[in-house]
Amino acid sequence: MGIPLNIDWQQILLHIFNLIILVGGLYFLLYQPVKKFIEKREALYQEMDREASEKLKNAQELEKKAQELLDHADDEITERRIKAEAELNERDAAQLLSVEKEAKRIIAEAQKAAEEERRSILDHTDKEILIMTKKAAAQMVHTSTEEAYRQFLEAAERDEGHA
Amino acid sequence: MSKKRKIVSLVVWLALIVATLAGAILCGTGQRAETIQETMRDAVLHETNKVRLFGLLEVNPAVISSLVVVGILLAAALLIRIFFIPRFKRVPGRAQLLLEQLVGFFTDLGKGNSPHRYRFLNAYIFGVGVYIFFGTLFELLGLQVSTTHGNTIALPAPLSDINAAIAVGCFSYLVILIGGISANGLRGLGRTLKEFSLPISMSFRLFGALLSGLLVTELVYYYVGLSFVLPVVIAVLFTLLHALIQAYVLTMLTSVFYGEVTEAPRPKPKKSKKQLES
Repeated sequence: MGIPLNIDWQQILLHIFNLIILVGGLYFLLYQPVKKFIEKREALYQEMDREASEKLKNAQELEKKAQELLDHADDEITERRIKAEAELNERDAAQLLSVEKEAKRIIAEAQKAAEEERRSILDHTDKEILIMTKKAAAQMVHTSTEEAYRQFLEAAERDEGHA
Repeated sequence: MSKKRKIVSLVVWLALIVATLAGAILCGTGQRAETIQETMRDAVLHETNKVRLFGLLEVNPAVISSLVVVGILLAAALLIRIFFIPRFKRVPGRAQLLLEQLVGFFTDLGKGNSPHRYRFLNAYIFGVGVYIFFGTLFELLGLQVSTTHGNTIALPAPLSDINAAIAVGCFSYLVILIGGISANGLRGLGRTLKEFSLPISMSFRLFGALLSGLLVTELVYYYVGLSFVLPVVIAVLFTLLHALIQAYVLTMLTSVFYGEVTEAPRPKPKKSKKQLES
């Protein structure tokens, strides 16, 4: 009794033989190389993705730090301003003190110089007065001597005349 | 395009249609070697038209179709492997994308349905999927061969022969069996044998689907005039569609059953003393 539907085991085996060759051939020639390429590319993209996420993480950390710095910047600015103002005030006060000292020193020196000048002038004036007095005295003496001499002479002349 | 040229093109087109239709009607069908009944019966049973394989064996035309399809596919794969794959780019072009999609589709199908063990399964479903798809489209080529009776017949789709369908169905079952045994040993063998109807259902489903396509095509082309009523493009689209569907159905079924038999057994929850006492 034949197998219904004209089923032939020999032909079935021939088909299976064909199929085995095809499956093996396509696997080695097409499937495996393409899959390998896809996997390699996937690995590359995953690596790129990992690097990118790492960079993103770093960038986020930097951003966080920058944000923190920005957040503290106002406080720091105020703090620094206060510090600068204090320093400025301190410096102003020091300068003022120094200027006052300098002014006092200058005034003191000026007073001293003026005193010396006055003393010198006074000394000089005294000397001049003395000289003038001497001169005046001398003049007076000279004038009185000359008058006396003249009077003497006149008296002498008169005496001679009389004589 | 000028108006005059348009008219000329239209006239030529209509003239060609009329001429071919008239030719088809006037020539008639000639002296046929077989009646439609004989043709259809032979398309199903392959009793009459046999082809000699290398002068050694008398085989059904589907065996020759199968050999030709396998030859063409392997030659194409070899050419692609040598000339195309080494030039693959990181950003794929259209052809590369198509190839990657094809490989990716079968990889995902195998992986999705059998997540425990899929390497061998993927290799198999890729091969068999491509075989079913291109094997079904092969009938569109209409390659002619001489039978042992001296008739000339067009080579059919390999899977329209029940022997080829049984080969694919049984081989798929064998793949599932191998997967089951290698993953779970005797348990896998038992699980696979439990689905004893699987090779029959897979074989006959494939055979029925492909045969229906073949019969419709035989019917249409037996009466030449019908090809004017039913445009050829519809037959092509029909073939293309069922090539896709059958390739998908068989690969999906194989993956699903492979996944079932290769799944690791779940440990039974230990019964507590209270449960045992009650």
